[in-house]
Amino acid sequence: MMAFFYATVLVGIAGLISVLRLILGPTVPDRVVGVDTLNTLVVAGMVLLGAAYDRTIYIDIAIVYALLSYIGTLVIAKYLQGGLA
Amino acid sequence: MGLIVRTIARTTIPLIGIFGAYIVSHGHLTPGGGFQGGATIAGAGILFLIAFGLGEMKKHYSKSLYSALEGIGGLAFLGVAMLGIGTAFFYNTLWHSGPVLNGKPGTLLSAGFLPIMNLAVGLKVFTGLVSALAAIALWRRWKE
Repeated sequence: MMAFFYATVLVGIAGLISVLRLILGPTVPDRVVGVDTLNTLVVAGMVLLGAAYDRTIYIDIAIVYALLSYIGTLVIAKYLQGGLA
Repeated sequence: MGLIVRTIARTTIPLIGIFGAYIVSHGHLTPGGGFQGGATIAGAGILFLIAFGLGEMKKHYSKSLYSALEGIGGLAFLGVAMLGIGTAFFYNTLWHSGPVLNGKPGTLLSAGFLPIMNLAVGLKVFTGLVSALAAIALWRRWKE
């Protein structure tokens, strides 16, 4: 049980590093890649916490977040590409 | 957008739609409910708009239909709330003495009028959000 919490802490450290890229990133695509990485890490953290707290229904939220973060990244990518002008 | 995004969207849009319908219909058993499920299904609509562009969206989107469906969602919520008006507004008469939706707590067909209200709110949120996004997209005249 505690192993899941330790794994979540590791994922959180990785998330902090990607937040660092989000703050420092010199260009906009750097920040977009930072957000995309952070989204995937948040999904991993949600699944791990769902296992740690022994609740199956928490996985539903991780699935929804994974689907919607993909759409968010896609919208930013389309905007940077010039498609929404 | 490109071929990869379109192909992924073809497979992902039904997935998001089915998962949103699951969230709406299990609103009284699992986290989520009408608003969350409706917003998730609206995410599928946004993905359609982003991946296939405004021209394709215009063919499949009807302003009057979505407007009518949003009104029907709100009216269904109020109509179900009126069912137990003999006792009180929002009295859950389906649960206390109804013919349907009064199964064992924890099963899908339980909780009285809550599943019907979740469906109504989900329909309203989905049509409202997609209509808002389509209106914004039409105003900006998005390219392909």
